[in-house]
Amino acid sequence: MYQYNSDDTTFLVERVDQFEKQLDRHLAGDLDAAKFRSIRLRNGLYLQLHAHMLRVAIPYGVLNTEQLRALADVADKYDRGFGHFTTRQNIQYNWIDLPDIANLLRDLSSVGVHAIQTSGKAMRNITADPLSGLTKDEVEDARPYCELIRRWFNVHPEFSWLPSKFKMAINGAKLDETALQIHDLGLNIVRNEVGELGFASYVGGGLGAAPMVAPEIHSFVPAEDIISYLESVLRVYNLKGRRDNLKRLRIKFLVREHGAVNFAKLVDEDWQHGKNDPELKLNMAELEKLKADFALSIQPLELNDFKDTIDINYSIWKTNNVRAHKVSGYSIVNISLTQLGTAPGDATSEQMRMISDLADQYSRSELRTTKRQNLVFPHVRNDEVYLLWKALDENDLASPHQGTLAHVVACPGADYCDLAKAVSIPIAQRVQQRFDDLDKLFDIGPININISGCENSCAHHHIADIGLLGLKKNEEEFYQITLAGETLHETAIGRKLGRSISGEEVVDAIEKIVHLYLENREEEENFVDVFKRIGIAPFKERVYG
Amino acid sequence: MVEDSEVISVFNDQGQSVELVSVDEWVADIDGHSASEKGVLVVPSDDVELLQGSLSKVTLIVLDFASFDDGRGYSQATLIRKRWGYEGQIIGINAHLDQLQFMIRSGVSSYQLQEQYQGTDESDYAHGYSVCYQAAANNANMKQKF
Repeated sequence: MYQYNSDDTTFLVERVDQFEKQLDRHLAGDLDAAKFRSIRLRNGLYLQLHAHMLRVAIPYGVLNTEQLRALADVADKYDRGFGHFTTRQNIQYNWIDLPDIANLLRDLSSVGVHAIQTSGKAMRNITADPLSGLTKDEVEDARPYCELIRRWFNVHPEFSWLPSKFKMAINGAKLDETALQIHDLGLNIVRNEVGELGFASYVGGGLGAAPMVAPEIHSFVPAEDIISYLESVLRVYNLKGRRDNLKRLRIKFLVREHGAVNFAKLVDEDWQHGKNDPELKLNMAELEKLKADFALSIQPLELNDFKDTIDINYSIWKTNNVRAHKVSGYSIVNISLTQLGTAPGDATSEQMRMISDLADQYSRSELRTTKRQNLVFPHVRNDEVYLLWKALDENDLASPHQGTLAHVVACPGADYCDLAKAVSIPIAQRVQQRFDDLDKLFDIGPININISGCENSCAHHHIADIGLLGLKKNEEEFYQITLAGETLHETAIGRKLGRSISGEEVVDAIEKIVHLYLENREEEENFVDVFKRIGIAPFKERVYG
Repeated sequence: MVEDSEVISVFNDQGQSVELVSVDEWVADIDGHSASEKGVLVVPSDDVELLQGSLSKVTLIVLDFASFDDGRGYSQATLIRKRWGYEGQIIGINAHLDQLQFMIRSGVSSYQLQEQYQGTDESDYAHGYSVCYQAAANNANMKQKF
């Protein structure tokens, strides 16, 4: 994988030094709260309910074991011994003391990890398919492009003070695991009719209080023009995006206001100039270097005599967590951080170190993080999958719940976040307890439940089969249920079921919805298929009737 | 003529006072303002495209960076300097210490800091990073990695 060189390290050191000076000025009363807020957010630092929260980037979800150990050390040294893997390939620490921040960031920069632009009104961490470069049918590995684009927009002089945050995802696979069209800008790697590589661009998606699916703005941007193209989108947004209405800041409102066709025209007008600027052409030599950096370090294995161990628990786990690798003899292993009774995405420092040891032993010291708050061991020999499972199982990390309803995605919620209106994690735990019978879970099959504690929608509830949005009514916590959101094959925002339901009753409502689905399911139909066929009315009737 | 109308002016690099007109005023009388060597004051809400055709006649351009979170000035500077090749002076006024390097890299050639920053060492911020990751209007003295 790509490693930072001395230029990158120099930059990271300078960045931390500058932030430390800014913090000192703030503490001395020479930098006011509003400006310091703007600066600290661009360094990943939020002020939360109980302490400061730091969001650290895991660019396009790629992590090596040295970095994961450093993240574990940070959890011990500066936090309370754990970190929270998010839905956007970041890790968050919830208990950071402000005066520690510079030293914490220095510790991370020594392993090429940082928190730059993980928050604030700038280009955020770019997310990618966690299986980039691993599967057979992919169009192209997204990671080299992610890295070049990440760099370009890192502390960009023109685009660091946008009207609002700007989230990007890049997908190179056939199926979209990144949920491209709920991003401010999603790029899908495609080939044109003569086989040249480029990007289809979708602009103006987003969740939150006004969820929108991004329309396609350009069907083919040649790879070498992607930088000038992105600059044009950002320039149009920077100059024309709303800054007056706090509820209309995101680019989705600009796209909606102009319409996709006219927005595309605005981008085109600007792009006609940028396209011809030789400085804005993608650096193809650097791209080739990055491709080499990311090239697989494994060769096909002949495992003709290998017979996998027969073990009922292992088989169940394997069905849900192991996928074929494009290199024969290897597998991709998914591990769920969502255990019964724990907060989704949370990992203790001990777990992080143990996972690092296992990745050193079984997966070429490499890991990936996913939108579903899981970790992936990308290159495991087929004849070592069982050994890895045993080791994970001994450490309570071989949850067979992955891909079942008990694998709930949840944000930190009102227990940790001062934006949240309601708790998320306790509801997730109650759902897990209600459905903890494995036989029942496998009969139900894969249903996604995502729980966001407020309209900021950090848990992506709009795109889940069953989505919950926390609300507060008369000091009591309620949940708005949405059904049949999806992103894998096409992107659709979940439909609102009806009036919100109290925290006390919401797990019952989920159970009713699941049962109605099971009663109506024909053959291999998934939740969205059934919903599309029978409509929302029977679900309303069952829950409210 | 209004007697007490406030005339806005700045000092140019030679220390001379230059009177400023708004973008609208400039466009209404390009030759007149050009003859009297007026500068143009651009605020974030201005459409700088209006200046494109007459840039060669402008003595100097002033961009207002008063609002810390309003980033339009950086795009305005980039268009004027990088895209349209304006070679005259671009002065950033009401500037914030923490944004100096962003302004300079976007093409601003000199700046006037807000009063609140008097006494702070500017060089930490004007030349904060020695490495840059993108082409910009001005990457002088920076190691370029892109």
